[in-house]
Amino acid sequence: MENTTLAHHLLLAGLLFALGLTGVLVRRNLLVVYMCLELMLTAATLALVAFSRFNRTMDGAIFVFFIITVAAAEVAVGLALIVALYRRRGSVKSDELVTLRD
Amino acid sequence: MPNDFSSLVHWILFLPLVAAAFSALFLRRAGAFAAWFSTATAFTIAGLSLQLLLQSTGDVTWHVELAKLGEISLGFGYLIDANARLMLFVVSFVAAWIHLFSVGYMQDDAARGRFFAGLSIFMFSILGIVVADNLLMTFIFWELVGFSSYMLIAHYFDKDFAAAASKKAFITNRIGDLGFILGIALCLHLYGTLDFVALKAAAGPAVPVAVGALLMCGFLGKSAQFPLHVWLTDAMAGPTPVSALIHAATMVAAGVYFMARVSFLLAPEVLSWMAISGAGMAALAGLCALAQTDIKKSLAYSTLAHLGIMGCALGLGHPELAVLHMAMHAFFKATLFLGAGSVIHGCHHEQDMLKMGGLLKKMPLTAATFIAATLSNCAVPFFAGWYSKDAIIEAAWHGHHHAVFAFLAIAALATCLYSGRMIRLVFLGEANSEAAEHAHESPWTMTLPITVLGLVFAVGAGFAAHYLIPASSLQVVDAALTSLHFSFTAPSTIIGLLALVFGFGGALKFYGTTRGADALQVVSPRAYALLERRWMDGLYRWWIDGPQRRIAEFIAFLDLLLINGVAVRWIAGGATAALGHLTGRTFHRGQTRGYALWIVIGSLLLAWYLLAR
Repeated sequence: MENTTLAHHLLLAGLLFALGLTGVLVRRNLLVVYMCLELMLTAATLALVAFSRFNRTMDGAIFVFFIITVAAAEVAVGLALIVALYRRRGSVKSDELVTLRD
Repeated sequence: MPNDFSSLVHWILFLPLVAAAFSALFLRRAGAFAAWFSTATAFTIAGLSLQLLLQSTGDVTWHVELAKLGEISLGFGYLIDANARLMLFVVSFVAAWIHLFSVGYMQDDAARGRFFAGLSIFMFSILGIVVADNLLMTFIFWELVGFSSYMLIAHYFDKDFAAAASKKAFITNRIGDLGFILGIALCLHLYGTLDFVALKAAAGPAVPVAVGALLMCGFLGKSAQFPLHVWLTDAMAGPTPVSALIHAATMVAAGVYFMARVSFLLAPEVLSWMAISGAGMAALAGLCALAQTDIKKSLAYSTLAHLGIMGCALGLGHPELAVLHMAMHAFFKATLFLGAGSVIHGCHHEQDMLKMGGLLKKMPLTAATFIAATLSNCAVPFFAGWYSKDAIIEAAWHGHHHAVFAFLAIAALATCLYSGRMIRLVFLGEANSEAAEHAHESPWTMTLPITVLGLVFAVGAGFAAHYLIPASSLQVVDAALTSLHFSFTAPSTIIGLLALVFGFGGALKFYGTTRGADALQVVSPRAYALLERRWMDGLYRWWIDGPQRRIAEFIAFLDLLLINGVAVRWIAGGATAALGHLTGRTFHRGQTRGYALWIVIGSLLLAWYLLAR
């Protein structure tokens, strides 16, 4: 534990973020894209906690609680949208949902 | 320990909230239990307020800070001075009896659970206004009162007129409340505090007119003062106990109480306006009451008249008299409304006075209490109403406000006229309809409250003030009465007695001449129509339909032109045009992933720019 520094944490957060971003960019299933989005958000909160830890304040950690709460609500809305979309179109593939183009 | 009473106040304030929540959540289907539960709560609160009135001597204060925004502290607390103690007692005591009355009156109602939950939440709100120690808390409870009033007016929500009336009451109050909240903001800006005690210290002798004028807007709406008085007569669409509790005894009086509380913030100009408009409204509303056949509407105009008198007392610089009149008025007007409710109940929901008559024999107890309260309403010497109303008329005379005095004299005469008319049409003469023929006395749950409120309080509240209101709170009453040289040869007494003899006696005689029709309408249809017509409603309709609609349409046009047209369409279209049609097709392929990629590229560019700077 003594050897872990802020840089380690930030590296991990960055990796998670990049992983999420890659998923968002390459995957076509909206459900997976959505999970990847959440991964990106989690990476950001991880960075926040790390800063909070190494700056010896609680502000960031407290902030994370709020982010998690709001994210939970947001997930509920997002999932409901995806379910509704599937019921209506029979598909959640992002490249099939292009009707707005025309 | 002077502050030992704060726990008592906790109980008084939060008991109704708990009762309301419990009734609303669990007792929606158990109407009878909800009724008795709510009534028991109301009587407990009345007992506790009586204890507070009897035992506490100094001001009760208690405060907890909820939030601190820079220099500004927002809190929740109590400030219970002599006025507040009196008001607490009057509100909770009158409300308790009205609860009991409702048990009988709402016997056959399917939605009793909702109704009593509404009464309880109303109690919570009004008590919150009474105990509040700062403007923000007052405002929050003020809005809660508005909400509960809205809910109770719309109790019969499947009736169009009730739904419309509740909407009208709410919207009219909102207009006043806009001024109120601006006034609060201005107080915060000028004095940096919302606390009543701190405000009083900070305000000093010269207060800007705007502060008082804006705070007065809230009072205009809630207490149904000119020009926002139009909602009160429509609010009679609610069940009669609601009219008695909210639209006669307590809620509309909350505005008067609030104005008395912040009287140090009212500039002389504001006070003059309140005095003259209050007195004018008192006279006018009293006369309008003559042209109503619905017993509740007629009483509503009477309430308007008395609210005008209270506003006038505030304006004359006698807030203690206004509070005193509010207390006395609460007793006799609650009795009058409950009596009207008993009559309506007895006549099988007939509200037209012309179809009543001869009820003195059929409903003796109701008739006796109603007449007692009416005499109090007319300010017969030594009845409750006399102490406060004549004192206010006296104050106008001593202050050399001749116009105000003249208006009040007209109001006194009008009061006697419509009171006499009401007694004559409802209780004397012969029955004018099948319903009145078969009228029956109401059950004890309804007659007991009107007996207590009517015979004991409406008659004796002023006379027995020294016994009913203990010494600790008497300073309000005493200050009111001893600050004036009160005697039988005073102009107010002479005016009052003349009005009584000619108004009351004349009305009894005049309205006996025609059966089944209004005597004034028979004698002079034009005068009757003049009084019956709702001028302000017509004015509002014209204003909203005419000028205001034009303004709204103009703003909508600007919105369409500037926001939709220039800001959105023009920029969006311009950008596409500038970059060419090609880019439009390149960017907008409809692929979510494509957009995501562009967002990433944009973010990277932005990050690069910020870091490289």
